[in-house]
Amino acid sequence: MSDERVSKRARARILGRVREANQEREPVEHPGTLPDALEPPGPFGDAGRSDPVGAFEDRLRAAGGEVVRLADEAAARKWLEEFAREFESVSVGVGVPDTLQPALPKAQPSEAALGVSVAVGASAQTGSLVLSSKEGRRSQLLPPVHLIWVRAGDVHTTLGDALQACREDLPATLALHSGPSKSADIGQILVTGVHGPGRIIAAVLLGPRP
Amino acid sequence: MDVHSRDYRARARQIIEETPEVREAVNAATQTFVDNRQKAFADLDGTALSRWAERVKSHALSHLADYLEEAEARLVERGAHVHWAETASDVHQIFECIVREQGVKKAVKAKSMLSEEIGLNPFLESCGVEVFETDLGEYIIQLLGEPPSHIVGPSIHKSLDDTRVIFHERLGTPRDASPERLAEAARDLLRDAFLTADLGISGGNFLVAETGSIALIENEGNIRLSTSVPRIHIALVGIEKVLPKWADLPTFLQVTAKSATGQPVGCFVSMIQGPGGSPGDEPDGPEELHVVLVDNGRSRLLADPEAWEALRCVRCGACLNICPVYRQTGGHAYGYVYSGPIGGILGPGLVGLEETLPLPFASSACGACADVCPVRIPIPDLLHVWRQRAVERGLTSDVERSVLGLLTSTATRPRLFGWAEKAAGLLPAPVLRHLPMLREWSAGREPPRLEGPTFRELWDEGIE
Ligand code: SF4
Repeated sequence: MSDERVSKRARARILGRVREANQEREPVEHPGTLPDALEPPGPFGDAGRSDPVGAFEDRLRAAGGEVVRLADEAAARKWLEEFAREFESVSVGVGVPDTLQPALPKAQPSEAALGVSVAVGASAQTGSLVLSSKEGRRSQLLPPVHLIWVRAGDVHTTLGDALQACREDLPATLALHSGPSKSADIGQILVTGVHGPGRIIAAVLLGPRP
Repeated sequence: MDVHSRDYRARARQIIEETPEVREAVNAATQTFVDNRQKAFADLDGTALSRWAERVKSHALSHLADYLEEAEARLVERGAHVHWAETASDVHQIFECIVREQGVKKAVKAKSMLSEEIGLNPFLESCGVEVFETDLGEYIIQLLGEPPSHIVGPSIHKSLDDTRVIFHERLGTPRDASPERLAEAARDLLRDAFLTADLGISGGNFLVAETGSIALIENEGNIRLSTSVPRIHIALVGIEKVLPKWADLPTFLQVTAKSATGQPVGCFVSMIQGPGGSPGDEPDGPEELHVVLVDNGRSRLLADPEAWEALRCVRCGACLNICPVYRQTGGHAYGYVYSGPIGGILGPGLVGLEETLPLPFASSACGACADVCPVRIPIPDLLHVWRQRAVERGLTSDVERSVLGLLTSTATRPRLFGWAEKAAGLLPAPVLRHLPMLREWSAGREPPRLEGPTFRELWDEGIE
């Protein structure tokens, strides 16, 4: 039997059995959204609400990420110039503004020493940067160091808010990066930079949107 | 995967007596998980969270057919191919067609317990596809030719030295290589595989009906790479993985990560809605996305009014970590892809009671698992259901029957100390010798109520 016929027959039978199984069952109501009161307190509770960037920074640092805050684009460019010195080449995501690209030779993502992205958002609650596949995934994943620009105004208090903000225009893959790649699979000893970037730097742009 | 649960007692004995280092490694790893989980929930209203999560999952399961159709429609709109598979052999046929048509020679694979359930790797190899497990833990046990020992940490039973030995033999790293050096060797080899594979294979932690999103949580980045770099991505998703709404996802991601490792969310999360590169409008990403929705016993379990709640499981592993019985042996003793408390209720539900006996008995019924389950699966009650059925169907030994007789007569409250001690009488002697004999577990619980002979008395009477 062809793959499609297998699948079609399976579909009908699975859905049939599932419907039959649920016929007798009392349907359970969806409990709605989790009330805010259940959002965890602490750095991503009250403090997170008044200072999401601070809470985001705490979280990401706790997971082994680095965070810099930059007052405006001029400060950002200055910092970038300094930061870029230690790298030989760069792979830049589609849509990273020219002004936020380091003056380094471009390389394929698999060869580049540094990847640069612009996050579509961030979550203080989890210390996560939200990345869209629309900028290309390889420069987010293959270089050993990943620099991610994020605007302070895009840092949401909760992960729920950060994901809700993307709901209307979901890319093929939306990703959360919340720390450097790590593993404890070798004898329970933590190593970083296993498959994905071993260094992740969030550069938070505090100034108003240009 | 073949099920070898029948040998549970012999295997447990063998592991404890012949490889005591396994117990040591598993104990250390699970204790770390337990401590981290506890810290992660310290400031939270864990009960309210798990009540909410329980209701969302129960709601999704009670409307499962509609949600599956919704997820399918969203995925198809985005250009994904959706396949349905009733059995392992259906999944094999679907893979065979894709692999043949596309001339796939090399596949990179992210951790998927469902793929273990259906024996995917040996099948793909029989089709001439070279399969690379890319999760470091999975890669280690792939080299060793072993099945995973834990649903979150497949290689937790292996020490640093075990990995040194196998990497020395297979990858030529120095015999005394540091963990960093070992990880680097694996990364270099697997990086090449990522860049040259035609196919990436993943599982799916959640399938969001409203948006058709497949969500995956991880720490290494291998899932992101497996689902981003090769030309084709196939995601294997159990039909029970459905979440109704996009807005449900953030809480489930967090609750799962916290329960599994104590992390806020895991270093990487992928939320996949469709293929990426051409014909899509994105710069890269797979050109083809295939989603295989797999039943493999799930719809039958859903129809079981006494046992269906096992389907809420999010595979966090918290019940394994806290289980005093699992901690003595790790997962291999159980002879089934899902071990520990969840294995005792999924095994009989998905594969059948006869095939997976005595897994429902491989528990001390101390109740710790139910306390940590983030979706409030009443694990001890479900174990009890399967135990009773085993007796009713005449599948149990005299020993199991006699102990179960005691249980059912005296214990309607499975978490009581006395019940737990007696239930432990069903475990193999070496496991019993090492159990922290439930005293720790009963601390802070209701006082012991011992009625009738305890497991020790039964043991003295020559019962194993
Ligand atoms: S049964 Fe509960 S605790 Fe155990 S793995 Fe499943 S969700 Fe986690």
